[in-house]
Amino acid sequence: MTGDIVEAARLIGAGIAMIGALGGGIGVGLSIQGAMQGMARNPDAYNNLFVNMLLGVAFSEAIAIYCLVIAFVILFVA
Amino acid sequence: MKKIEKHQQRHGLFRWIALALLVLTGLAAFFIPPVQPAIEAASAEVAGPLFSLPIIGNFYLTNSLIGILLVDLIIVGLVLAVRKTLKGSSIPSKSIGGVIIAILEVLFDLTEKAAGKWAKKVFPWFATITLTVLVANLLDLMPGIEGIGLLVPSASGYVIKTLIPGVLSTITRQTDGAQLYSLVTFVRSPSTDLNFTLALGLIAVISIQVMGLRYQGFTYLKRFFNVSTLFSKPGLGVMDFMVSVLELISEFAKIISFTFRLFGSIFAGMVLLALSGTLIPVIGQSGVMLFELFMGLIQAVVFGLLTMVFMSQAIRGEEQDETPKDERPIPLVEGLESFWRYKRK
Repeated sequence: MTGDIVEAARLIGAGIAMIGALGGGIGVGLSIQGAMQGMARNPDAYNNLFVNMLLGVAFSEAIAIYCLVIAFVILFVA
Repeated sequence: MKKIEKHQQRHGLFRWIALALLVLTGLAAFFIPPVQPAIEAASAEVAGPLFSLPIIGNFYLTNSLIGILLVDLIIVGLVLAVRKTLKGSSIPSKSIGGVIIAILEVLFDLTEKAAGKWAKKVFPWFATITLTVLVANLLDLMPGIEGIGLLVPSASGYVIKTLIPGVLSTITRQTDGAQLYSLVTFVRSPSTDLNFTLALGLIAVISIQVMGLRYQGFTYLKRFFNVSTLFSKPGLGVMDFMVSVLELISEFAKIISFTFRLFGSIFAGMVLLALSGTLIPVIGQSGVMLFELFMGLIQAVVFGLLTMVFMSQAIRGEEQDETPKDERPIPLVEGLESFWRYKRK
């Protein structure tokens, strides 16, 4: 068994960094759930709800993407 | 009757073309097994220093710079197509100009909902950013973009095999040889370069502040340094001031979030495409490409939509006047016509 312990630590660190995507996933799920329930109750509000849902999804998805960027920085930079 | 037969015949031809391409892909993957490309977060230099400035340093022709030039050329082509479509008498729904008009119409509808009577001020920013980012994201999916480039010697790479001497070579899967090479592509999607997304984020946030200052005057600064209630109501006034300082910090957070959202999602897509192309080269990559098509569209719309929403908030300020909304759905070309008429004034 040969290898570099720094390389192993980098891979493990990139994996740990992605745990933060859990929160982003929960946020996206909650916002889509709320928008879907609103659309089902009031189909006329579809357009308004859809745009606001996209905004909310983008905000909560950004948190998960920060984790992804950090994982990429650990993996591919330096 | 004749038309229906022709229609069916054409679909039959497309089916055979798709099957032939699939078989060709399988053969290519069998004879030249795809290798995992070197994934780098920074763009690489294709040509030497173009010119140098005293303080900043040398300017290189990077592959994402070629990418953004290609994006600009594609957008100029789309503009010419729309111009040709608008000159025609009827509505040509099948031409590419018609498609772009339809997209702009949807974007203008969204802008009218968020910005009300200032829609015509905000719409150019929204449409420009969305179209640029959309073309830049989809550039990633074009064939040959991620696969054609210069082979440069590097420490960790692959052994090359010459197909046409001096012109065309390919890299093989062997990693033990005297001289190893790795690929530097000619074109790289600009969205996978942090410089492009940071520049776009800075443009978006600075233009938001400029629009706020222009339409609200110095009352816009009250949003960041709220000292109006600091002395009249000492307790709550301090709290108002702290909230406005938080608002100032969130403006800088907007730049970071704009930058890393676009970069992260499109770079992740590039890595996913490269890895899936290495592992399942024949059919598996097509599903990933479909997903990336969707992702590129969503990210482009989200970037433009956030700019539009922040900008209309900055223009409107705290006043919440409900402008009477026109509930009548706007026909396809008429809304755009009103936009052009406004621009000519």
